[in-house]
Amino acid sequence: MLDNIKLGQYLHGDSWYYRLDPRGKLVMSTFFIVIIFMANNWITYLAATLFTLLIVLTSGVPLKYFYRSIKPIVVLIFFTFFLNLFFYRTGTPLPPLNIIINKIIVIIYGVFVALLITFRFTKVIDRYIIPKIFKITTLVFILINILLSYGLNYTEFSWSFHWIIYKNALINGGYIILRLILIISMSSLLTFTTKPTDLTLAIEHVLSPLKIFKFPVSELALMISISLRFIPTLLEETQKVLKAQTSRGADFTEGNIKDKVIQIISLLVPMFIISFKRAEELANAMEARGYIPGRKRTSLRELRWRFTDNIYVLSFILLTAFFIYFRS
Amino acid sequence: MKIKNLTVNSIIAALYIAITVLIQPIAFTNIQFRIPEIFNHLIVYNKKYFFGIIVGVFLANLFFSPLLPYDLIFGVLHTIVSLCLTMVISRLTKNIWARMLINTIIFSFMMFIIAIELNIALELPLLESYLYCALGELAVMLFGMPVMYLLNKQLPFSELID
Repeated sequence: MLDNIKLGQYLHGDSWYYRLDPRGKLVMSTFFIVIIFMANNWITYLAATLFTLLIVLTSGVPLKYFYRSIKPIVVLIFFTFFLNLFFYRTGTPLPPLNIIINKIIVIIYGVFVALLITFRFTKVIDRYIIPKIFKITTLVFILINILLSYGLNYTEFSWSFHWIIYKNALINGGYIILRLILIISMSSLLTFTTKPTDLTLAIEHVLSPLKIFKFPVSELALMISISLRFIPTLLEETQKVLKAQTSRGADFTEGNIKDKVIQIISLLVPMFIISFKRAEELANAMEARGYIPGRKRTSLRELRWRFTDNIYVLSFILLTAFFIYFRS
Repeated sequence: MKIKNLTVNSIIAALYIAITVLIQPIAFTNIQFRIPEIFNHLIVYNKKYFFGIIVGVFLANLFFSPLLPYDLIFGVLHTIVSLCLTMVISRLTKNIWARMLINTIIFSFMMFIIAIELNIALELPLLESYLYCALGELAVMLFGMPVMYLLNKQLPFSELID
């Protein structure tokens, strides 16, 4: 079970994007989320798409990984798209949807019947099934057409839902999908090419102005690093506890709310005890090695800002300028 | 910040991830029902769990969120704001149940931050998504109240840290 859990998304590789300073990558990925909302017509969206494509294609990360990170939200994307289609009502309306569907279905039906007739004279499928298929498809065809004409009549009653789609709804829905894909590609690129430890270091640097307000930035970064280190250990321990409780007859998949509370407690008690024990040991070990919270610490890895980082930042500024100039 | 606080908070955050990964899919299939959210009740027992919860939420979003950048910003913001509000308001009472209830209500109410996120990212209707998110959060946090109460009886959270 533990083998197929992949924490973090870092992929080993080497390209100009991997070698960029994580601070620049982090800040620019966030900046990209903000500026993409300035795009509001086809030319700005085209520029944003080309810009993202250029970075993604030269980053050396195989495209299938981007597909994988977009895949979980495909359902969400289509859901929003259709929701948008019916609730967004400005601009010129397209012909009623049922007429469009009707035309498509008539064409599909025609092609289907033609295929059946050709099958009748060849020996691709058993000719005795053909009349059966013909009957079923004709029935389905008639049913869909009745439903569609029924949908058309709804507009005459005081039915709030109607089949008319507006042109702007289509365009707007398309823009939302495109924007989401671009943003997710850019941020996935950051996590694909930056190790969590480097990302933590970058977060520490980016948040360091908060030190003025006595916000414990370096402690927070250290906490993230320790957490990252202990996630695999705790995963292993959790699995042990799960197996131990299952072997004693615990069933975590069933039961009402009261059972669930008891099941969860039977897992959490040992987990918390293990965690606090680990924390205590770690605290002692750190103290023994002279760690003092709040003191200035040096880092094993020093981040270096190179010339390419300047170019990277500059390209985003140019994109912003383009957006400001060409947006409508 | 003492060293022990620091390590306890880090490991609580790691535990947050471990529970998200292993217990969530086994016990609860519904994604809206995020079991590690019950950790939010730790703030009621001791304020020093603040950073542990935030780091846990941050890492969970970093690893598992499909809407990565949005969840990272808005999800963490939601937790920080809600925890701060709870810390202020729970001074009114010493009763643990009352405090947990206050925490639950604040977290559910603050879900409008997530609704705004969904509205920006996907242009979903604001009110509907607020209702869904708030109800989901309310359910988890209510479920968490007896869990945390019984856990606290076995291991007193307020004494384990400081």
